[in-house]
Formats: sequence, C-alpha cells, structure tokens
Amino acid sequence: MAGPSPSPHKPRRKAKRAVNGESSLSTGRQPSARTPSFPLESFLWPARGSVSQWELLPLILMVAGLFRWAAGLWGYSGFEKPPLFGDYEAQRHWMEITTNLPISQWYFHDLQWWGLDYPPLTAYHSWLCGKIGSLIDPSWFALYASRGLHSPALKIFMRATVVVSEYLIYVPAVVVFVRRFSRLSGVPTWTASVALVAILMQPATILIDHVHFQYNTVMLGFVVSSISSMLAGRYLWSAVFFVGALGFKQMALYYAFSVFAYLLGRCAFPVNIPRLVAVGAVTAVSFAILLLPLIVGTLNDVRRGIDARPDLKGHRPPLPLFADLAGNLDTGAFYYPVVEQLVQMVHRVFPFARGLFEDKVANFWCALNVVVKLRKYPSNLLQRGALFATFASIVPPNLILFFRPRKLLLPLAFATTAWGFFLFSYQVHEKSVLLPLMPMTLLLAGGQGLGKNTRAWVGFANILGCWTMFPLLQRVDLKVPYTVLTLLWAYLLGLPPTSLSAYFQEGSSIWSQWATAFIHGSFYLAIALWHVFEAAVTPPPDKPDLWVVINVGLGAGGFFLCYLWCLGSLVLESGILPKSWGSKRDKTKMQ
Amino acid sequence: MAETYPSLAQCAIVAAAFKILLFPAYKSTDFEVHRNWLAITHSLPLWDWYYEKSSEWTLDYPPFFAYFEWIMSQVAKLADPAMLRMYNLEYDSWQTVYFQRLSVIATELVLVYALQMFVDSSHGTSKRAAQAAAISILLSPGLLIIDHIHFQYNGCMYGILIASLVLARKRSTLLLSGLVFGALLCMKHIYLYLAPAYFVFLLRTYCLSPKSIFRIQFLNCLKLGGGIAAIFGTAFGPFALKGQIPQILSRLFPFSRGLCHAYWAPNVWAMYSFIDRVLIVLAPRIGLSVKAGALQSVTRGLVGDTAFAVLPDITPRLCFALTLLFQAIPLVRLFLVPTWDNFIGAVTLCGYASFLFSWHVHEKAILLVIIPFSLIALKDRRYLGAFRPLAVAGHVSLFPLLFTPAEFPIKTIYTVFWLVLFLMAFDQLAPASRRARFFLFDRFSTLYITVSIPLILYCSLVHGVVFGKSYEFLPLMFTSSYSAIGVVGSWLGFMVVSFTS
Repeated sequence: MAGPSPSPHKPRRKAKRAVNGESSLSTGRQPSARTPSFPLESFLWPARGSVSQWELLPLILMVAGLFRWAAGLWGYSGFEKPPLFGDYEAQRHWMEITTNLPISQWYFHDLQWWGLDYPPLTAYHSWLCGKIGSLIDPSWFALYASRGLHSPALKIFMRATVVVSEYLIYVPAVVVFVRRFSRLSGVPTWTASVALVAILMQPATILIDHVHFQYNTVMLGFVVSSISSMLAGRYLWSAVFFVGALGFKQMALYYAFSVFAYLLGRCAFPVNIPRLVAVGAVTAVSFAILLLPLIVGTLNDVRRGIDARPDLKGHRPPLPLFADLAGNLDTGAFYYPVVEQLVQMVHRVFPFARGLFEDKVANFWCALNVVVKLRKYPSNLLQRGALFATFASIVPPNLILFFRPRKLLLPLAFATTAWGFFLFSYQVHEKSVLLPLMPMTLLLAGGQGLGKNTRAWVGFANILGCWTMFPLLQRVDLKVPYTVLTLLWAYLLGLPPTSLSAYFQEGSSIWSQWATAFIHGSFYLAIALWHVFEAAVTPPPDKPDLWVVINVGLGAGGFFLCYLWCLGSLVLESGILPKSWGSKRDKTKMQ
Repeated sequence: MAETYPSLAQCAIVAAAFKILLFPAYKSTDFEVHRNWLAITHSLPLWDWYYEKSSEWTLDYPPFFAYFEWIMSQVAKLADPAMLRMYNLEYDSWQTVYFQRLSVIATELVLVYALQMFVDSSHGTSKRAAQAAAISILLSPGLLIIDHIHFQYNGCMYGILIASLVLARKRSTLLLSGLVFGALLCMKHIYLYLAPAYFVFLLRTYCLSPKSIFRIQFLNCLKLGGGIAAIFGTAFGPFALKGQIPQILSRLFPFSRGLCHAYWAPNVWAMYSFIDRVLIVLAPRIGLSVKAGALQSVTRGLVGDTAFAVLPDITPRLCFALTLLFQAIPLVRLFLVPTWDNFIGAVTLCGYASFLFSWHVHEKAILLVIIPFSLIALKDRRYLGAFRPLAVAGHVSLFPLLFTPAEFPIKTIYTVFWLVLFLMAFDQLAPASRRARFFLFDRFSTLYITVSIPLILYCSLVHGVVFGKSYEFLPLMFTSSYSAIGVVGSWLGFMVVSFTS
C-alpha cells in the first residue's frame, strides 16, 4: 500500500478555503446549509464538525462490512446448478488445483472444468486462500473429490475470503483515494466521508463480488491504489500497483491506456527522461516478480521430472499461440518449458479464439446484433471493426490526459476509457461494467461530486449498470438482494426511483436541466416498465430472449450516454477548449 | 429547534433494507413455533386453540397474540397456503420465510410510530437526546438478533409498550396509557413483570387526587377499571364462556420448568450457579459436603430443576419473594413522587428485579430492562453511567442465541457498531449531572466494557481452537457470568442513581 498521505489532519483548513472558492460544498452553494440534501447526508449529519473522521471511519467500515456479509447470506452463482456450476465453483476449483498440483500444471490442468484463465496473481491468491481453507477443512479442496462442493461451511469460508481480500486491498485503497482526491478538490472532510460511504455501498460491486461471487474488488483495489499513487505523485508505486491489477485480472487492461497516457504525459510535460526510464524499469521488474514464481516453479518441476501435462504422456503439442516461434526454438532446451508455460498462460488469459461477444451484454456490438446479424460477417472483419471502434473511442480521452496530465482529470479519463472498452471492444462480459463504474463512482469524492449533476449521472450509470446485470443475477435467484441493494443506494443518494432531488438545480441552464431530467427520466421509466413486463409477461415463443435483448439495447444506449458525459466533462475540465466555447457548453456539465 | 437528522423514518428504511438481506439467515425453532400458531389459528375453531398439541410448540401466548396470528394468517393465505396446514410441521418454503420475516418488519412499524411519539413528546434541549435514544432502540442489536434472525415479534410489542409509556407522560392520556398496557398484557404476559409500576403510577396519578392521596377519584377508577375489564373480557371472555381459563393459564404459566433456562440468563441465579460450580472444586478443601446427585445435572443446566451441589437449593417461593421485595422498593418512591421520569425508572427497576430474581428467566427478557432504560438513559451522565454496562452486558448475553458461524460476524460487528455509535453519541448528548458522580463506578464500568473484548474472542474463537467440542458449557458459563456482573452492577448503580437524584 502507498504510505499515508502527508498530513491527515489538514482538512479543516481546506474546508474554509473551499467555502469561498469556486468548488462549493455538496450541501449546496451555501456552506452553511441547514438541511441535508439527500438521506446519506442525513445519516452523517450528526458527525459534522465535532466528530473526527477517525471515529467515523471505523463505523463506516463496519456498516459497509455488515451489508456485504448480509448480502453474502444469499445464494451464489451456480449454487446447486450442475453440471458446471458457476463462478463460485471456478474460484473454488482454482484453490483446489493450485494447492494440490505442481505449479507447472496449473494452466494445463483439465481445462474443460473451469481451467485457470486468469493471470498469475489470481492463481497465487487462490493458492493462499486454498492453503488457509485446507487448514480448516481439507475436504473443501480435495483434488477431484471436491468438485461442485456446496457445503454451508465452505460457503462461509469463501465469502470470508472475498470480504477479507476486499478489506485488505480495495477498502484501504478507496479510503486513501477519497482522502487525497477530496483534498485536492478542496472538498471538506465531512463531505468526503459521505462520498466514501456512497462509494463503498456501490451496489454493483457488492452484487457481483459478495453475492454472485468473484474477486473483482482485488483488481479494482489495485487500480484505485494506482490512481491514488498518481494523486500523491508516486509514479513508480502507481506502476507497481497497476501491474498488480493486470496480474490479478487481465480486465485491468481497460485502464491501461489511461495509466500509460498519464504516466507518459507526466514524463513529457516537462520532459523527464529519468522518470520515464524509472517507470519503465519498475514496470518491467514488477512483471518479472509477478511471473517469477511461475518460472522458477516450472524450472523446478522440470528438474524434479514433473511433466506439466501428464495426460499427454510425454508428447509435446505445438504452442497454442505464436506457432512460428516454436520453429525457431529448440524444444529440448532448458528454457522451453518456461516459454511453453508463459505462452499457455497468455493463451488462457486472452481467449482470442472466442466470438465477438459471449453472452448478452449491454455493449455496442450486442445491441447492433439485434438490428444486423453480425455472425454472417467473417470474424476477422469483426475483430478489426472492434479494434478500430475501441481505438476511436479511447483516443480522445487519452490524448487529453497525455497533453493535460492533471490529477483531477484521472477518474474522468479512466472512466471514459473504460466505457470505450466496454462499449466497443471484443469479448466483453456483462460483469465488466464494474470497470467503468468504478472510476465514475469515484467522481463522487471530487469537487461538486455530490452536487446534483454529478450525482445524477453517477447514479444513473450505477443503477443502469445493476439493471443490465439483472438477467445474470436472476438466473441464480438473486432478485431480492438486487432489489434491496440497488434501491437502498438510490435512496441513500436521493436518486430515482426514490427521489427526484438530484435534478433541477437552481443556477444552471434550464435547458440542460430539462434535458438531463428527461433523458434520465425516460431511462428510469423504461427500467421500471421493463421490470413489470419481465415479471408479468412471458416473451413470445419465437423470441424467448426478448426481455434480455431489450435490456441489452437500452443498457448500451444508456452506457453510451455515460461515455459521452464522461468525455464531455473531461473536455470541459481539462480546459483545452477556448473559454467562450466552454461557457456555452457549461450547461452539460458544471451544474 | 431545528429538525434533527437522521429521522426515524430514514433509519427505519435503511434498517429494513438490512433486515431484508438477513432473510436467509439462521432461524430458531421460534420460526416454526409461529408458523405452527398461524396454522392453529387459521385451521382450528377458537375453542381448540389452547388444546391443540400435535406439535410440541403449543400456543402459549395470551389470546390477543392468538388473534394477531389469526389476522396474519389471513394474509399468509395469499403468500403460501401450505404454511397454514396443520401437521405441516417444520415447513419453511421460501414464501413462508419471506412472509414471516416480512411480517416482523411490517409489524415493527408500530415501534417506529411509538418512538416518533416519544420524540415528539420531548421538548427543548432534550429533543436531540430523545431522538438519539429512539434511534438506539430502533436499531437495537437485541431486537435485530431476537426478532430478525432468531425470530420473534418483540419489535411490535415493545412498540406498544413504548406507546403506552409515552401516553403516560400527559395527564390527558393517562387512561389510554393504562388501557394500552392492559391490551399488551393480553398479547404477551411477560409484561406482567412491569405491571406493578403501572399499578402504582396509575393509582397515584389517575385514581387518587394529585393533591391528597386520601381523596379517591371514583369516576377515574371506574373508567380505568371498566376499560381494563372490557379489554380482558375481549381477550379471555370467549374462552371463559367455555370454561377454558384453567387450560389457558396452565399454558401461560408452566411452573414445571427449572430455575435457570438451558442457557443461564445473566441474573443473580447465574452468579449463584457459577459460585456453586466453583465451590464443587473448592468444597473438599474447605470441608463442605457436595451433594452427589446434583453433580450430573450441574454440568448441563438443561431445562428442568437445577440442582445445586454445595449451596442450598432455591425455591420458586424464594424467587417470588425476592422479586416482589426489589420491585417494592422503587414503587414506594414512585408512589411518593409520581413523576414520569420516576415512572420510567420504576418500570426499569421492576424489569431489573424480575430479570434478576425470577424463576426460569429467559435471556431475551433483558429487553424488558434495556428498552425502558433507554428512554431515560440520557437524563444525565449518572444515568448514562449506569446504562453503559447494561448495554454491553445485555447485548453480549444475547450472543449465544445465535451459534451458527454465518451469523457470527453479523451479531458481533452489529453489536460493536451499535455500542460504539451510541455510547459515543450518548456521551456527547447526556447533560452533566448536578450531583457528583461516583468516581469508581465509572472506572469500573470502563474496565468492565474492556473485558468484553477478550471474552468475546475467547468464546467465539480461542475456546474452539483449544478445546474443540469439549467443555462446551465453558464459554456459555463465562458469557452469562460476565453479563450477570454487568447487569447486577448496572442495577445497583441505577438504584443508587434513582434514589439519590
């Protein structure tokens, strides 16, 4: 973890400055607001002023933990759903193979049954969790015998690993980020605490990690640490953390361009060659350390005569990727098993052979597929199309970030880039919406973050994001936690369907207010109607996926708006537009 | 005075969200008890309700609660008719769970309403304190553990109790207060423990003239007596007509049970048992005789007669006498100075006395003390000083109710959260007392609270690692003895505070 920020007790001075500065408080333009503007502020209302954040923080963390654990009492992905079960079984299975098999077999073992397809840090994490779990009950991770195990005690252990991993990585990262970012934006401590609760109670991450089951927050936590290291000016740490994120889940690549653009920008304006070299070297060394156990383990296994693929009885298949590479390599050389291992890992982690999109996901391609059947086009063309579209969507934010490497732009740039990837890239999963949602939700900690406009848009993206995951959650009977956690968050932040308080803020252009309210309103209305129809009406027999398709189409449209909003805000905040232009378009973002 | 935030409604909404998430949590046999009562009241004619015994969980609450179950069964029909079938024992379909759990949350609205009444009845500077106390009751870990996980309907009934207590605050609603309390007695007879305080308070303030205790206000007596009679008539009348009263009474007051419940409620008898157990070890050295027959039952403590190996046995008569004695002391004071604060204090002390000295007390009865006490805990710092160990001991003593690992983080973290939040908030809100506080008492209470941390750690973790499944009674015994010290200590503290203020 990055060290604590230099002076934890400064905020009170900043708070005063913020009062007369442009960045006004969340509680309206008047710093002496008499009433909370949404329920979450009410809950923290008694803590204004007198209560130190060190008293507040443990309480916040306890509440966030309680909701996570309570949500975890519900079922998980694949519960009693043979033959393959679900994500829960995948994670459990990885603990089983990593604790029972030699390291060189991890990426080769029975790939049909949830073969390991995440980068090595996930494997190491699984190994650690598996070792601890085996101490408690060895049967949980017994090789082969434990497949599809659903014992209640195991569930508690698995839930605990998610909570503990999150509290070790994501939660401290978010706490540090909120502190640094709010201070940079001139937001008072109390308001930052409100934002912290809002970020920690974000329904999508709780639903996917603690209910449906995965460890996304570990990867997201590394990314947040990386961003907050950038805020603190610790570029080398930021590179290390980002390698950690990539090493845990390849999905972190959604952010890679922004990390790259920012760090490069920081080395280019003004030119700072030593820093560039240092960042590059640290990145390379981090990757090397990340892969080291795998490499050393493989060499060690070879020395001990353990074959990575005992099922093939000594026969060596060609490399799954870079087939020509094999021609130039001596398959008998001592380093060949390492090459084979790494190529296999890359092959498992990046499944190039799969289609443009896997399931129904609310991105551009899947939505387009409703109108134009994409399967009739050659996959080569589709891949190139996806590559081009993704590129086109991520170049603008990253160019801005490169030329204006400012700390305050980071969450917006990360969010825009991740939205671009989510909407246009290849092989997107509906759970990937967590990636753009995370930096977008972090905006709540910034200046105006809890003001109406940002709150409305961040809330819109989150609620839409949860809604697009509803089909996924519904498949395993998780409607109740979905409803409770989403509505609770909407209620806390004063968002539709519980309140309209996030709209119609005085002092901004009437047209933009109405436009935002109208767009969001129609989406919220559509979501509500969709839920009614989905519950009450069976789709016609020739269109069994009708509800999912509508969900995907609407979701993609809404996410595209989120992309545009993030991009627009980024353009305005970066100040690259001439002043006259900016004031004209001010309405779409500032208030 | 500006509106205070957060409001009760806001807290109730967020708490409800949390409680809905707890639907799949552990549920005790009380869940089946209440399902069975739904089935009994729905399927059988009134006259058979108190005779039906095909399930071991026979109806043993007074008639108003049975009527309450009957009303709920009318709604339950829509959720899942199968839960209303007799002999469908241990039935817990998802619809049944949803319905029963939701019914607890819905009926708890009575509590929210009553607490709002309490806040509205306070004025001036104490309003913020009243709001904090109200929220602390609404979010009480006791209610969360007992009602929303273990399963019972205390939220609703304590709501009625609080409503009745608040109604007693104004002269104009004194009659109503008495009648509401009468109705509550017909729902759950555990509140009989508090009845002496009501009797004395209403006698003094409503039936006797405020100016002289020798002038009886006959009209008021008539109204109160007639009202109570009408309520009891509605409840028990139909059964009385059929001569079923003895049967009902035998269900309501099962005297065959032992002194201590399976798990010792943290009262005086828990300390007595603990001392007895220590003496078993010491007896041979100091020359006391050990009753051999008692040794077997002592290591268990199952429902049934608790036999003591060294100390003299306790009779129900002795329990009754002690309870009455310690209830009488605050009642004399209440009779002399019948203010509302004294009334609440007397209710609390009646709760204390019955919890500490009664026969076969259940640990859940601690709410009978904590909830009325919460209403006056913020009166000044001395009251708060007595409340603090009770808040810790009372809630820690409820932990053994939930023994499943999945609920362990919920009960501990929630309770710690509640204690940190409210003890901190109360500390800021309670005004200083005009009288000097007892220096040592506060120090002891701090020490006492600190001890709870290693205790919880030992009972939940260390014991399991060191001893495994053996000596299972040890953590329970430690918890109840620890809690008993806290409850008795806070009782003594509160007695002193209320008699010196």
